[in-house]
Amino acid sequence: MDLDTDVPMEDVEEQQLSKSKLSDSKSTSNTTSSTTNNNASGSNPSNLHDDLSLGTINQLDEWIDKLSKCEPLSEADVKRLCDMAIEVLQFEENVQPVHVPVTICGDVHGQFHDLIELFKIGGPCPDTNYLFMGDYVDRGYYSVETVSYLVCMKVRYPNRITILRGNHESRQITQVYGFYDECLRKYGSATVWKLFTDLFDYFPITALVDNKVFCLHGGLSPMIETIDQVRELNRIQEVPHEGPMCDLLWSDPDDRGGWGISPRGAGFTFGQDISEQFNHTNDLSLIARAHQLVMEGFSWSHQESVVTIFSAPNYCYRCGNQAAIMEVDEQHNRQFLQYDPSVRPGEPTVTRKTPDYFL
Amino acid sequence: MDDFNDELFPLALLMDELKHDDVSNRVEAMQKLDTIAIALGPERTLKELLPFLNDVAQDDEEEVFAVLASKLGDFIPLIGGHQHCEPLIQILTILASMEEPIVRDKAIDSLNKISLELTPEELNNIFLHLIQNLSQGNWFSKKIASCGLYKSVIVKVNASIRKELLNLYLKLVCDEYPMVRRSAATNLPTLIDLLTEFTTLTPNDANKMNNDDWDIISKMFQHLINDDQDSVKFLSIDVLISILEFFQKLQDQRFNSEFLSSSLKLIKDESWRVRYAAAERFSKIAKNFVRNESDLFQLIDPFISLMKDNEGEVRKAIAKQLPSFCELLVSYPSTKVTILNKIIPVVNDLSQDSQETVRASLASTITDLSPILEKQATIEKLLPIFLIMLKDEFPDVRLNIISNLSVVNETIGINLLSTNLLPAITELAQDHKWRVRLAIIEYIPKLAKQLGEPFFNDELLSLCMSWLWDPVFAIRDAAVNNSKELTIIFGSQWAEHEIINRLLNNGGNITNKKDSTTTNATTNDDELDEKIDDDDDDNTNSNKIDYSNFIIRITCLFTITRLIPVIDYPIITKKILPFINNLIVDSVPNIRFNVAKSYLIIGETLIKNKRKFNLSDEELNKIINTEILVNLEKLQNDEDVDVRYFSSKSIQGIKDLVN
Repeated sequence: MDLDTDVPMEDVEEQQLSKSKLSDSKSTSNTTSSTTNNNASGSNPSNLHDDLSLGTINQLDEWIDKLSKCEPLSEADVKRLCDMAIEVLQFEENVQPVHVPVTICGDVHGQFHDLIELFKIGGPCPDTNYLFMGDYVDRGYYSVETVSYLVCMKVRYPNRITILRGNHESRQITQVYGFYDECLRKYGSATVWKLFTDLFDYFPITALVDNKVFCLHGGLSPMIETIDQVRELNRIQEVPHEGPMCDLLWSDPDDRGGWGISPRGAGFTFGQDISEQFNHTNDLSLIARAHQLVMEGFSWSHQESVVTIFSAPNYCYRCGNQAAIMEVDEQHNRQFLQYDPSVRPGEPTVTRKTPDYFL
Repeated sequence: MDDFNDELFPLALLMDELKHDDVSNRVEAMQKLDTIAIALGPERTLKELLPFLNDVAQDDEEEVFAVLASKLGDFIPLIGGHQHCEPLIQILTILASMEEPIVRDKAIDSLNKISLELTPEELNNIFLHLIQNLSQGNWFSKKIASCGLYKSVIVKVNASIRKELLNLYLKLVCDEYPMVRRSAATNLPTLIDLLTEFTTLTPNDANKMNNDDWDIISKMFQHLINDDQDSVKFLSIDVLISILEFFQKLQDQRFNSEFLSSSLKLIKDESWRVRYAAAERFSKIAKNFVRNESDLFQLIDPFISLMKDNEGEVRKAIAKQLPSFCELLVSYPSTKVTILNKIIPVVNDLSQDSQETVRASLASTITDLSPILEKQATIEKLLPIFLIMLKDEFPDVRLNIISNLSVVNETIGINLLSTNLLPAITELAQDHKWRVRLAIIEYIPKLAKQLGEPFFNDELLSLCMSWLWDPVFAIRDAAVNNSKELTIIFGSQWAEHEIINRLLNNGGNITNKKDSTTTNATTNDDELDEKIDDDDDDNTNSNKIDYSNFIIRITCLFTITRLIPVIDYPIITKKILPFINNLIVDSVPNIRFNVAKSYLIIGETLIKNKRKFNLSDEELNKIINTEILVNLEKLQNDEDVDVRYFSSKSIQGIKDLVN
């Protein structure tokens, strides 16, 4: 298949525009706040913003406390949280650099209690570093709490957790698969949905773990040969129906070689030849991605050049699958941890006792 | 908001809100009903608010009614006292007659609440009238409502009215609608209990219970026990228990044989729901027959047949009754022998029941049998069953056995218990389900206390250390906590020798300094614990911990930190501080900010235990300044924001403690 390399150009132009906007807002934020520690800024992109004020930290800790009990924030607090999150996320890169050790996780899909289980398995954030590869909302019953919690953690500990965008972090998809309805049910209006979907536009779309493991939600795109091409995209927008950004969030690996038409109607399928070429070109050891239900929680493809990680156990409360996360240590050793759905205290065991109203 | 001062304002506001289109607004408005009544004052509440509510109670939705019904229960003080209760009761009567059970139940609760504040005269006039009207109502919901109201008058009226009321209630028990009969049956035990209390507290009252009353109640019971609907019939079990308790209190055994045959009839009923209800309350029934050896004896076979019931729910319920029923059987030698001869063999079958919930239910009670069976029989009969259940494939079964072992320990002693159970426990400690491992870890301190140090060191210590390297964080965390619990039991020196020295590689340094990491991309699915060789007591290089893995370093740090508050001063300064000081240059920020947190714990412990450690102010200040604050200040200039935050926080914490 021939590649139309001209397509990204449009995006680059836009990006330059937005870049200048970004640097404007950055310089203002730098002048308004003061800090005693300037030695770190500049060396690490995620260190660009200054230390949070004590008031903000207390506020965030309070929210995290509330959310960890699966209690949603008020609409006004969601607004404040999203504003803070934009301040953090807009400075992250399309290919956000991440350091080892880190624990890489796949889809969560609003299964809040299973997310808490994930932290029991992998260790609490910030003690453990996390990289989530998208799809926090839809399907499960607690999308609001799940995404609020993760965004809160991101703002509180920007260096300890990275949250990428999944194909469900989009206005269109969330209207069909539950997040929109959940917001409406829990808040009585679509305001919170709008706040979050606007925020999703700022989520980075890929991450690169110590230049060796390329992490993203979906897969490769015929329009992307090098990681630098990802860096040139303008990601701050709704997930498009086609094009490189769409593919990164929608594509799947396949047993057949080359590029194929995806049955999902968006993105492509890509074969082992494509993955190996991409890893070779970019000097990668692995592509880690999520996006597909795998019964064991993780699954290798393309002779261990691609791994799929899925972190929603018993997906949709009925699939019966295990979930998994992948720990990458300082020597780049990988360990997969599998887990089952959380045990929910207080929930009665299923009994055959017929309720009175049937009789 | 001009009319804010208008004295009609609160009522107008409520009326406005109650016209709102959205039900949730109307519900919210109703929630503030008491505030509005207070604002209006008693007189206007009575004359204006109540008539208005009377209309509302006939024209809104159930959610609003439910709130109204529960709010009105507290209205007596707001309308100026019980003498004005009539309009209030009227509104509640309307609500109580509704078909929606939530509204009805709330209205009944409120009516009963109000009845407590009425004078006997008011009760006899207004309330009695109300009950009579409702009981003879033309619609089933009124009759259902009346069933819930009898309890507020039944012991406050004279004997003739009581008889009238009971006859009225009998009609409800025989009503053509099953819903009414069910409500009558549900409320009957409360009425009997009230009469029991009345009779025992004032045995010589002029209005005391007579045989006529009991005739009526026994007719009610006969109707219920023979009801053709099993959803009514199973409620008669609670009625029976209340009746039994009445005669038990009076020590009257005249009707025992009749009651026994009624009990047996219910226990053997063909409907499984009735048998289930009977199984659930078996010991409650049985304890009323314990005075008579042959009566009790007759209950043993029915008990066993319930254990063998076709319906799993019934077996599950009866398994819960095992210890309490067996305790009753101990009363006579003839019944006591049946525990071993007849019941235990069936328990054995039940422990391998095809349904896991039945086994789990049995597992939660079976250990309580050991004090009843005493030492010898526990060893011979029960231990084999425990061992089978400890290996059950369903985790809840294993868990229930483990968490109830202490009662067995009291009966047979730790040695027998441990030699029999240790192999099973070791096996569970390596279960692939982490919650099973967790359950075992949480049981370890208890076990350790009873085993004593030498036995523990030989049999369980290496297991405890291996949990520290479990792949699952929750297990590592539990293992860290376990080390602290064990240190509290075995003391500081034990911790130094058995835990701290091992974790520090006998004082060796942790080597993974900043920028010394090599990137070496290899695949390794092996578990963490394979990186650590089994630890023996000799100090060969092979049993040293490999600190190159971040998780191992942070787990060492967590363990050492958790031990700080429970160990002696020399260990803190000679072992722990050097170890922690080493880690301030670790390559991983997560370690560095946890080091910052650890310094605070050391500071806190030293300051708190200053006298216990025999520290002078000078020494204390010296350590805090030269060992702790200096290092925290280094961390305060770290390149990572989280390290800076946690070190500043620790510095602040220590400064607050010093001042």
